[in-house]
Amino acid sequence: MDKILVVDSVSKEYPGRVAVKNVSFSVKSGSIHGFLGPNGAGKSTTMRMIAGLLPVSSGRIELNGRPIEEQEISKLIGMLPENPPLYLDMTVRDYIKYVARLHQQNDINSRVDKILSDLSLQEVSHRLIGNLSKGYKQRVGLAQALVYDAPFIILDEPTNGLDPQSVVELREFIKKLSLQKTILFSTHILSEVEQLCDEITIIHKGEVKASGPMDEIRRIFKKGLTLSIGVSSGQKLPDLSPFGDVHAQLVSQDSVEDTYQLIFSSEEDVRKELGRYFYEKGVDLLTLGLEAPELEDIFLQMTEKQ
Amino acid sequence: MILTIWKKEVESYFSSPLAYVLIGLFSLISGVIFFNLLVTYSDGILAIPAHLAQEISFVDEVVVKLFANINFLFLFFIPLITMKSFSEEKKQQTLDVYWLGGVSEWKLVLAKNFAALTLILAMILMTCVYPLVIWGVGIRDVSILGASYLSIILNASAYISLGIFCSTLTHNQIIAALLAILGIMGMWMITWGSHLHSNYVLAEIFAYIGISSHFERVLRGLIGTQDIIYYLSFIFLFNFMAIKSLGKRNW
Repeated sequence: MDKILVVDSVSKEYPGRVAVKNVSFSVKSGSIHGFLGPNGAGKSTTMRMIAGLLPVSSGRIELNGRPIEEQEISKLIGMLPENPPLYLDMTVRDYIKYVARLHQQNDINSRVDKILSDLSLQEVSHRLIGNLSKGYKQRVGLAQALVYDAPFIILDEPTNGLDPQSVVELREFIKKLSLQKTILFSTHILSEVEQLCDEITIIHKGEVKASGPMDEIRRIFKKGLTLSIGVSSGQKLPDLSPFGDVHAQLVSQDSVEDTYQLIFSSEEDVRKELGRYFYEKGVDLLTLGLEAPELEDIFLQMTEKQ
Repeated sequence: MILTIWKKEVESYFSSPLAYVLIGLFSLISGVIFFNLLVTYSDGILAIPAHLAQEISFVDEVVVKLFANINFLFLFFIPLITMKSFSEEKKQQTLDVYWLGGVSEWKLVLAKNFAALTLILAMILMTCVYPLVIWGVGIRDVSILGASYLSIILNASAYISLGIFCSTLTHNQIIAALLAILGIMGMWMITWGSHLHSNYVLAEIFAYIGISSHFERVLRGLIGTQDIIYYLSFIFLFNFMAIKSLGKRNW
């Protein structure tokens, strides 16, 4: 897949404060790219710079291989900002029509009808936006980002403050949307990223801590080999010192099996040797599995370093 | 683009009760003023001998005073109209709609100016019954009426540009309105400097910068190139500052 967006050493400085420092990452065409960081990490600032709402202090942002300043990005990028820009005194339909007109679209009525139907907004289309629930308002915000059919969509914390039902619906919609568009999606909810994203960029205190495909990030940040093993209930683990420094932790117990998590200091795959060793020591090894580190562990590891 | 934004802004004005309250209040107050001026004028004429009565000019006593009073009413009405232009957008963070749509600052500022002017014109339209009365009493001078209306429309346009600039400065509508009132009063007060006797040049400069001298000339039908240049540069300056103030997002 080609890179649709390249952010190269981008910084944003305000008098006396650096909001974003030397941020670099790229987004592959057709992917859902998660932009992850705690509150105040610089996610919104970076996204606003990409959308052309804020100029960069230094660095370069390229969309489709060309600097964004040279392009008509109002046709290329659709954005749902953290606070959706909604006119509370307009009806849903009028507002979406208005946005379509600002983007100089043709066939405004059919476009508006389609987007209202895609987002299940028809039933509220004649209601004032100010009278809608937060979930509906967020959908109207999404509709304004999509009505002009830009190929690159930026969603700044789209599920923030929604009830669980709306969150699930919105995630489903984003998944469907990714079949046609590239999505850059920010959040501080880790499970959301794990469910939705192909690639992630982790940002903390204005700096990128990691960026790339999810599996790669997991691999890079793996401290050492992590295994999940199950032994017959009540059996003790043998002495694991032949395998170096091993951290063993009982994870769960039932009538048949005790499950442990073993974290080795080295990355060397010792599953075969471990199986033989357990057999020699007379311990029944019921299960043996390789564990990928949780994104949450990676995230905490990275942000706690600070 | 300007037309699209103008239409939305005008609809927004007329979908809130504020516009109707302001138009109603404006008609009421200007009507009372006009009635009082008429009564004072006719009482004055009846009270003095006929040969002196001809010396009292209807234009001076009624027309000029009426439009000068309307100008005074604008001190409060226009800031109330322009106060939410940008402050509300800033508060609700809705300006992103325009920046994401690639709408330039100047198009947005111009559209807001035209929308506010539309509402003012609707107010002024309500005063059109007065010229009919004036026509009825025999003043059939179209140029005087034309000049009078031109003068308040020019002043309104200038005040609107000032009010819109003020509303780009803050998220708070009330502060925006107060700033605009102070700004308009300031433009009136500068004219007082023209009474400075010690320095002729400075007095002339104050007279030119202040809006009142230009308003009076236009109102009396004495409009000159300098007045047109004055109004155009006033409106340009405040719109330019509004554009620059919106451009602060680029900091």
